[in-house]
Amino acid sequence: MSKRSCLILIAALAASPVAAHVSLETKQAIIGASYKAVFTVPHGCAGSPTVKIRVQIPEGVIAVKPMPKAGWIIDLVEGKYAGEYDYHGNKLSSGVKEVAWSGGKLPDKNYDEFIMHTVLTDRLKPNTTLYFPVVQECETGVSRWIEIPTEGAGHSHEGKSPAPGVKLLPKP
Amino acid sequence: MRLLAALATLLFAVGFASGALAHAALISVEPASGSTLATAPEVVELRFNEPVTPGAIRLIDGAGRVRDDPRVSASGETISVAMPADLPEGTAVVSYRVVSQDGHPVVGSVMFSVGTPSETKPPASADHWLGALIWLARVGLYLGLFVGVGGVWFARWISRSLTGTTVPRAALAVGLPSAVVSLGALGLDLLGLPPAALATAAPWKVAVATSAGRAFLVAAAAMLFALLALRSAWSSRALAIIAMVGVGLSLAMSGHAATAPPQMIMRAAMFLHGLCVALWIGALAPLAALLSKPTPATLAVVSRFSGIATPAVGVLALTGLVLAIVQLEKASALVETRYGLILSIKLALVLLLLALAALNRFRLTPAFARDRGAQVILKRSILLECVIALAIFAVVAGWRFTPPPRTIVPETPLAIHIHSDKAMFQVLVSPGNVGKDDFVLQLMTGEGTPLAAKEVTLTLSLPERGIEPMERDASLGPDGYWHVRKVELPFAGRWRIRIEALVSDFEKVSLADEVEVPPP
Repeated sequence: MSKRSCLILIAALAASPVAAHVSLETKQAIIGASYKAVFTVPHGCAGSPTVKIRVQIPEGVIAVKPMPKAGWIIDLVEGKYAGEYDYHGNKLSSGVKEVAWSGGKLPDKNYDEFIMHTVLTDRLKPNTTLYFPVVQECETGVSRWIEIPTEGAGHSHEGKSPAPGVKLLPKP
Repeated sequence: MRLLAALATLLFAVGFASGALAHAALISVEPASGSTLATAPEVVELRFNEPVTPGAIRLIDGAGRVRDDPRVSASGETISVAMPADLPEGTAVVSYRVVSQDGHPVVGSVMFSVGTPSETKPPASADHWLGALIWLARVGLYLGLFVGVGGVWFARWISRSLTGTTVPRAALAVGLPSAVVSLGALGLDLLGLPPAALATAAPWKVAVATSAGRAFLVAAAAMLFALLALRSAWSSRALAIIAMVGVGLSLAMSGHAATAPPQMIMRAAMFLHGLCVALWIGALAPLAALLSKPTPATLAVVSRFSGIATPAVGVLALTGLVLAIVQLEKASALVETRYGLILSIKLALVLLLLALAALNRFRLTPAFARDRGAQVILKRSILLECVIALAIFAVVAGWRFTPPPRTIVPETPLAIHIHSDKAMFQVLVSPGNVGKDDFVLQLMTGEGTPLAAKEVTLTLSLPERGIEPMERDASLGPDGYWHVRKVELPFAGRWRIRIEALVSDFEKVSLADEVEVPPP
């Protein structure tokens, strides 16, 4: 096994205990490339079924296209980006800032995935973690997967409801 | 091959990550957290949204003791904690750590009160026998210091004979054990232990670690020096001086008065005050004894004493005035506070004593000088002085139980300021001690402008007592501050406080700090 796949194994194993949280299925992505963000929703809010999933698109992520999902309505919130990004020769200064799936009902005992296509611009910093804050709304209650660890805080103090994150790798 | 390996690991990871595992969540508690019950519940039931395995379940009862006898049983989603039969009144805390199906620990605390919540009960240290013992030992200690040591000093420096030292000897015999009893009782009072615990080292160790405990030791040493000074040796006069200095020191080392600011002045005043009390009061018993069998030398002794007593009384009055002014702060406290009332009674007795002293000094001593027959009246007057002095000791020993008005401040809330780049939170906890507290949270941005939040939660935990985090939602008041009312803080200690403010749907600012909650 190469050094690279060894690292991937370690990273994957290290990442797996966060299974109880809403998280991203693919834990690593290369900047300057497209990224299929799969949000896994393992449970409702303290037993209550999930009725809405809202995902905030972080700065530097463009060309967001959510995948339609039977029984769910997709709403997009568009707005201005902080910067201007080059996408296939076009200058993009605004786009999708938030994606919401609603209208469905995901019982607590079921598992589901919410998927969107994105492009990670090369303006993002390699070797950092990019967070997609998620608000999970349920019939009763809300779970906010929005905690972003402060830099230098270390991993030992994991928050109660961390935002799903993806490790950014430099362009090969 | 490399690709295959990478693919395999990814699949492996995905297989791990996608299991529909969840943390357990507490759904309900019976009896409800924060409730007040007439009688102790037989069982506390914690219901979760999924089956859980009990980890550490701790019960801390209303008396603040960690109990090792709650029986914990789990069946599916419910954990039952059977309460011991002898659960005392007060606020009890059940702190739980359970393991959810996915192996993650879930922690939290629930609390309920039996009878009345803990803070409305009288403090546990209100044991009457202990209070009486502390008071009695204090009176005994004053006797030993002032009558005993003062009497020995009088015998060595004024009368220059051991005639009339029976009373000082007896006072020392009372004072020495009183110092030991004071030390032990202080330890019991500090730890809230029964008298049987005096056989153990704990109360003594605790007592010696305090300034009051060390003051008792110095007092005991002073009395020992006085005993040594009774033996006729070349050094007896020096030993008497050392003993007197010890009296002043022991009083200046500890207590409300000596520790009040400005300390330099207060400690010096207390030292001189104690020294002069010993000079004056210590002389009374030997004087009375000398007067009952007057010799030609007696007149010289009485004159010598008068010569030194007058300046001593002057210093006594002056230092007393300084101490009283600092302690009382305003004259009305003389009648409005218990401390002031004790001082008022003491002052009345002191005035009586001064009147008698003046009578002795200006009428009876000259009369005695002219006519030896006047000795009977002088002796009676001195005996009356002794009685009044004893009454003053008894009254003053009561100060042990009353804080001076200087230290009675309106309940000041605890203030905590938590600061990060993103935000500044100002937290006020009132009254800021054990019991029910109100929290006021003022949220500001890092630049000091108000921080608008959608939701604010307050999380408290006390790791040192095993109290797992308790979460309370704050509500926005019309004053623009966030309030959490009637938060039960059942124990003193270093509480961890965490405030999370939801700034937008996707952004939360959270700051944490620790706050020392003082004991009641």
